[in-house]
Amino acid sequence: MTFRQARWDEPAVWDLAPPRTAEAPPEISGIPEKLRRKEAVRWPELSELEVVRHYTRLSQMNFGIDTATYPLGSCTMKYNPKVSELLARRKGAAEVHPYQPEATVQGSLELLWRLERVLSRITGLPEISLQPAAGAHGEYAAMLMVRAYFRDQGELAERTEVLLPDTAHGTNPASASMAGFTTREIRDKDGSVDVAELRRAVSKKTAAFMLTNPNTAGLFESEILEIAEAVHSVGAILYYDGANLNAILGVTHPGRMGFDVAHLNLHKTFGTPHGGGGPGAGVLAAGEKLGPYLPVPRVVKEGRKFRFDYDRPKSIGKIKAAYGNFGLDLRAYAFILSHGEEGLKHISRRAVLNSNYAASRLGKYLPRPFRSLVKHEFVLSGTPLKERGVRTLDLAKRLLDEGVHAPTVYFPALVDESLMIELPETESKRELDGYIAAFERAISDTAENLHAAPRSLAVTRVDEVRAAREPLLSWKDLRAASAKAETP
Amino acid sequence: MSRWIPDESGEEASLLEALGIRSTDELFTDVPKRARIGRMGVGPARDEPEVVAEVDRLLERNRPLSKFSSFLGGRIACRYSPAAVDAIVSRSEFYSAYTPYQAEASQGMLRTLFEFQSLWVEMTGLDVANASLYDGATAAGEALLFCRRLHEGVRFLVPASLPWEERSVLENYASGPGLRVEGIPYDDRTGRLDLEFVRAAVAKKDVFGVLADVPNGFGLVDEGVPELKGILGDVPLVVAADPLSLSVLEAPGNYGADVVVGEGQGFGIAPSFGGPLLGLFACRKEHVRAAPGRIVGATLDTEGRRAFALTLVTREQHIRRSKATSNICTNESLMALAFVVYASVVGPRGLARLQASLAEKARTLASGLGSIEGLQAPRFDAPYLGEFTVELRRGTADEFLDRLRRRKVLGGHSLKDLRPGAASDAERVLVGIPESTSEKDIQKYLRAAQAAIGAVGRTA
Repeated sequence: MTFRQARWDEPAVWDLAPPRTAEAPPEISGIPEKLRRKEAVRWPELSELEVVRHYTRLSQMNFGIDTATYPLGSCTMKYNPKVSELLARRKGAAEVHPYQPEATVQGSLELLWRLERVLSRITGLPEISLQPAAGAHGEYAAMLMVRAYFRDQGELAERTEVLLPDTAHGTNPASASMAGFTTREIRDKDGSVDVAELRRAVSKKTAAFMLTNPNTAGLFESEILEIAEAVHSVGAILYYDGANLNAILGVTHPGRMGFDVAHLNLHKTFGTPHGGGGPGAGVLAAGEKLGPYLPVPRVVKEGRKFRFDYDRPKSIGKIKAAYGNFGLDLRAYAFILSHGEEGLKHISRRAVLNSNYAASRLGKYLPRPFRSLVKHEFVLSGTPLKERGVRTLDLAKRLLDEGVHAPTVYFPALVDESLMIELPETESKRELDGYIAAFERAISDTAENLHAAPRSLAVTRVDEVRAAREPLLSWKDLRAASAKAETP
Repeated sequence: MSRWIPDESGEEASLLEALGIRSTDELFTDVPKRARIGRMGVGPARDEPEVVAEVDRLLERNRPLSKFSSFLGGRIACRYSPAAVDAIVSRSEFYSAYTPYQAEASQGMLRTLFEFQSLWVEMTGLDVANASLYDGATAAGEALLFCRRLHEGVRFLVPASLPWEERSVLENYASGPGLRVEGIPYDDRTGRLDLEFVRAAVAKKDVFGVLADVPNGFGLVDEGVPELKGILGDVPLVVAADPLSLSVLEAPGNYGADVVVGEGQGFGIAPSFGGPLLGLFACRKEHVRAAPGRIVGATLDTEGRRAFALTLVTREQHIRRSKATSNICTNESLMALAFVVYASVVGPRGLARLQASLAEKARTLASGLGSIEGLQAPRFDAPYLGEFTVELRRGTADEFLDRLRRRKVLGGHSLKDLRPGAASDAERVLVGIPESTSEKDIQKYLRAAQAAIGAVGRTA
């Protein structure tokens, strides 16, 4: 199969129509002169069809899961069921205002409550909040909860440090730091937490240890119970980053592993779309220690009625307007209903099976830096490519020419020239074999062709260095740049 | 078993065979026995018609806005979204994509985000916009942290009339670095900010930023806001603006705003019980390296073609980790797409006409309510656009709204609900004007209000 992405010579939206002479918007009585806009917003007046064609053409220059295999490690790019899209657009879901009287939104409340209850069973943690808009937002809220908890314990002054493994996602240290903690990385041993080093590092200064399990090297942290013991021995909180939950559904859960608080990404494990970068939906799950600190409002059931409860004196308050990304919550609920207990277990078994199968096949081409048994994703090192004057980046770009998406590259940072591959449970064996064949063709290609890739997409290799060195960040910048170019 | 997990006969067996194992159990030997669980307690799988029926059963317990004459608003707007917007948002090349890390494969979303950034720049009069944040409230929170990177100090001033939700979000953002959020008092006749309070606070040299919302939590356009920057000097000014209002109001960048944030939901995004929303953020170019969130930049490909990529990434968490300007990773890209498609379909003149029409309906309703004995509307002597405040001279706002609801009118928000604990708020209702509001809806509100306040009077 030869892959060709659409290559439209499509102008920018503002170049579709001739520039208008500035005209003032209609006057609104009572608005004083100094607050009136003197010229209408500078934006083109277009027909609906022109707009639709423009964005349709742009869409054809974009890769989605529906376009091709999308093996981005740590992103869990599984199929987004169409039925969820249908349901999220129902009038009873979309045309509901968050501040309607509770009596008129019993359905939304019940859906949130049911989703919370089932996520509680999946995580093994009793208290749930659906308020965070994304995973990192959940991490941040959890770190604020940790802060509030230690304030109540009278230990906030000494609990200043959050520990993380060196395999942690970048959002973990960033979230801890925004919540006012300093961060310290614990070095890994063969891709897993070095428990001896963790034991040396924990102290009365430790507020929390943030851990992803399986971790970003694709390895299950087998010493998780020892890790939990070490963290709890100094009274610190063990935090679960749920980005990789897709590997362990029904096998274990954060509660059983000893985590005190967790976030999940509904847009990874529970099939809601990633939206080209969002919206996501985070979930906070907490045990008894941190449960009282979850954001308000909480959804409660009283008899057959549901209501919001704001009366939680220890709560950190709000982290976002309204209650969370309801449209995504609904999609995730439909996803969980569709799978049921056995289906959810099957997800992880199949995702891990796909991953180990692809790892064993691709391990023939590039070294695997850690042990062979992996979970839902695996890491390869592109170091040997360097002998041919080729880098991991070139291989990633060459893969795009095969009509498949590239893996995550240069993460985790502890592996030189790393590639991280995740092939979720919705990829069939045919697709896996197709991906492996594409990988074989790409890596066997000449250095020249690898450097020249990609050639079959809307654009060739994009100059990212130039983008950062001479930032052109809006139409306004483009206008200024072209005015400057025209000045002799 | 899920039909989305491919299960062609023998498929999994051949995968197992290739690995030389008999069962997927062998793939989980790294999970210690003591960490294993039994059943989770999730129900059985349902097929697609059953899932549709179950979700519909729940949604039927909602009464959507179309069942009422609704006057709900606040930061979440009820506007019509042309079908073309959802048609584009529904294209799975967009919605099933990840963050555009691989620029060459993602030019469609990158160009869309660049156009979105450009639109917010044009609306605000600033130089740089990011590719979105979670919502208006968290955008204000990020603006708070951004201001602290630009200026020393410990206090961040916000209007005392700011809705409680936003205040609470801001206080959370402030709490990590040990900063404080303080309310600026307002004049209870005009709703205007007390500029002398701001002047005195700034003179103490410990204010690192000031936020003003336009329109504010009472729906008012505060004539004092353009004067703020003159008082603040080099202390950054954040304006939280409703994007629709910017179709007719001066761009805040032109009166000194250093940051403009906003809630973008009203542009092509359904209320959906409050999410997903869209956080807007713009700043000046000289401050871009302190800005939060992803930013798309224009560049070239190797053949000199115009191309786009995520840029200035050294600000971000995946590069800078604990030193990043924000922890944000997943943002609201698809909602940014809806925003720019909506604005392009409606057009700048259409947006201004819509804002003018909402303002006119608001004035009609306010003057009608004002002529009802027992109600004061509009409550404040100040300009407003599509929302205004009513004060009850007797009874409670909750009781009043309950009585309206029995007549199928959702009459607005009790300001006590929007700001629990703000005792000074008397019995006030923030009334919004959804786009669908007809003359009939307005008359229905007036009749219902007359009856409700009359009944309140009798029981009082």
